[in-house]
Amino acid sequence: MISYKSHTLSNGLTVIANRDGVSKLAAVNLLYKVGARNENPHRTGFAHLFEHLMFRGTRGIPNFDTPVQMAAGENNAFTTNDYTDYYITLPVANIETALWLESDRMTGLYITPEKLEAEKRVVVEEFKQRYLNQPYGDLHMLLRELTYKVHPYRWSTIGRSPEHIMDATLDEVREFYGRFYQPSNAILSVSADLAEERIFDLAEQYFTASQPVQAQSPNEIPMEPAQTEPRRLEVERDVPSTSITLAWHIGNRTSPSFFVADLVSDLLAGGESARLYQHLVKDRQLFSSINAYVTCDVDPGLFIVTGQLLPGVKEESAERALWGEIALLAQGSIPARELEKVKNKFEANTLFGEINVMNKAMNLGFYAMLGDLALVNREVGIYLGLTEADVREFARNTLHPDTCSTLIYRAKQHKK
Amino acid sequence: MKQPSLVIPSHIDMPMAHRHTLTNGTSLYVLPTPEFEVLRFTFVFHAGSSLQSVPFCASATANLLSEGTRNFTAEQIATELDFYGSHFEVNVDRDCVYVTFNCLSKFFEQTLAVAREILLYPTFPEEEVSVYREKRKASLAIERRKVETAARELFGRLLFGGTHPYGVTYPESAYDDLTRDDLSAFYRDFYSNALVICSGGIGDNELRSLQQLACELPATGMPVAAAPPPAKSTGYGFTERPDAVQSSIRVGRLLFTRTHPDFVPMQVLTTALGGYFGSRLMQNLREKRGYTYGVHASMINFQHAGYLGIATQVGTEVTDDALNQIYAEIERLRMERMPEEELSLVKNIMVGEVLRILDGPFGIADVTIENLLCGLDNSYVSRSVEMIRDTTPDDIQHLAQQYLRREDLVTAVAGAHI
Repeated sequence: MISYKSHTLSNGLTVIANRDGVSKLAAVNLLYKVGARNENPHRTGFAHLFEHLMFRGTRGIPNFDTPVQMAAGENNAFTTNDYTDYYITLPVANIETALWLESDRMTGLYITPEKLEAEKRVVVEEFKQRYLNQPYGDLHMLLRELTYKVHPYRWSTIGRSPEHIMDATLDEVREFYGRFYQPSNAILSVSADLAEERIFDLAEQYFTASQPVQAQSPNEIPMEPAQTEPRRLEVERDVPSTSITLAWHIGNRTSPSFFVADLVSDLLAGGESARLYQHLVKDRQLFSSINAYVTCDVDPGLFIVTGQLLPGVKEESAERALWGEIALLAQGSIPARELEKVKNKFEANTLFGEINVMNKAMNLGFYAMLGDLALVNREVGIYLGLTEADVREFARNTLHPDTCSTLIYRAKQHKK
Repeated sequence: MKQPSLVIPSHIDMPMAHRHTLTNGTSLYVLPTPEFEVLRFTFVFHAGSSLQSVPFCASATANLLSEGTRNFTAEQIATELDFYGSHFEVNVDRDCVYVTFNCLSKFFEQTLAVAREILLYPTFPEEEVSVYREKRKASLAIERRKVETAARELFGRLLFGGTHPYGVTYPESAYDDLTRDDLSAFYRDFYSNALVICSGGIGDNELRSLQQLACELPATGMPVAAAPPPAKSTGYGFTERPDAVQSSIRVGRLLFTRTHPDFVPMQVLTTALGGYFGSRLMQNLREKRGYTYGVHASMINFQHAGYLGIATQVGTEVTDDALNQIYAEIERLRMERMPEEELSLVKNIMVGEVLRILDGPFGIADVTIENLLCGLDNSYVSRSVEMIRDTTPDDIQHLAQQYLRREDLVTAVAGAHI
């Protein structure tokens, strides 16, 4: 249980406060409801590039990091397909420094052509380091393009190509800032040993100076039509072993089908006792590693099964084995103890996630962004209520060959 | 709006762990925080990779502890732990193995029962050893495609020497010769005299049960692991990866362990150089030149050695200039006195880092382990905070002059020739 109080300031900023009685640190999380899904298809990677620019200083505070560090604090940020999250931890006594800095860069960002150029180069190096210079680095990009034809989830947060980043202009930066970096499009969540009312007062004091500009309507996001045919992509790369990935569309983050999908992914791959590991890695020795997971996207996401083949294993037999496991879910029985196991895991993960202030503040921001803050404490109950019949129905209806996208990422054969 | 005033904690008190010395000589340390419903317990053995004589034996032994015991199969162990939502993890470094269990306090006894099997009765079944060999061979081959891994391994060989226990690396094919007898022998020789640490929601009953298990662990008197032979550094090395679009770089040198009086002041120096986001190297290589996504410098501590390491990954075409910039930033530490303002920023960052690491019972447990392995108790934390605060610009310059001459530096690069 995370206790919290929520309050909306006059300028539209949502503020959520959790009183933590133990920690000497305060966690300040500021989430903007903008991510890669809000990007122009010809300027992908922009939300993430913009996140970098948010650290490039304002007219009043030319360097963002130094005051955080002087306050014995630490800060960072990340961009997802749905949102951009900025967070700071620092001694409770210095919490005002965090609010001062975040409220300042909500309105006063100052980007010069030089800053933009330097930051583009950094992001292109990040592109190379994480996506081009890594074995399997483009696997997820390929999977997105295979599974999404319309929705902007068809590209990843880093973008479709380094050229999109290099071509970004200062005008586009201004336009993006004005449209998405508004108090009404943001959620401030704080966890600290302070009374909730005190947190609201401080938020009021620092953030109401930033008045909402005439809000522009957020862009329309095209919804992905239902996939009605199997899709298959086979590529060859210089990697040590072939990998097979299967993906299906599921419901959005708050829909009932998401929770079943998440539970099923744990039955298949949550820990070493899970089915895929026991059957396909250990017993049959087809894969060296295997995983199943759901994407935690706001709009309808994916259920993904992915594994790396052991040397000498035939692709067809490995693929057939994956389908065998899905058939087993759809037709076989699920022992009560196995179901209880994955439910215990959700409970444990939730309790471990509530130990530190940063996790709590981040969770509160995330659920508020979903539009269902109370879900943060209701979710374990939802998992506990799922049944064998739910699992079977999901496996039958959703994990179907006719709507599956298959990606074969084949290891190039080297001549000896 | 006006900048708020700041408060920097002048000292940090870390709770002392309660020590229980057991009949068999095992040491058990407890840090109870009853307000939490979760707990963690860790067993530390001096059984790290520098102690192995057979390649990959130390990590294989540690990782296969849970893959079959006298009374349970690997699957039963995994199922039992997963069933209670307990999380089990094994970490291996050069010196030690850390076997850690995280669980809900209400499932402590059940988790401890599994821990007993894993720690006292592992059997290293042949078929598990064989699955493990193949898996690790495959994943190590993938790891080694990365310039990052190639540079890290090369740097170790250059710092310590290619056959030194802290520097040696083995080909993936060495996995083929690893047998279950090697693991059993390594377990027998090195899994004794554990250090046991428990933190979080632990009560009297849990403590008694844990004591009971700790008493059953083999104790043969403190093993005095012989210090490794002296290291011999080589100045430069290059590993070629013709297709790489980036080079991975390591620069550093051998220094000393954490108990050396210059260790903390050198940590201050290292933090200024490359230990935080606005560090000198970050400003130079990332902010000013856009050569890299990140660069990091740190002091690394082993039981019998310590070193300074700088790591970054840069575009192939700027590798040489990036190296020159790194050398130039080090030279600047030797030639110019660090401004007071920069130094106090660095100190505040370091104090904040200590606060963050100590936030929560498990972080406190981790630092307790680190201290104990250096022969220190938790009062060391407040002393090291004092040492941080006492470091002056002159100290930094003297240290740089003493330890960071260009000819002392070791450089490893993995990437493509231009």
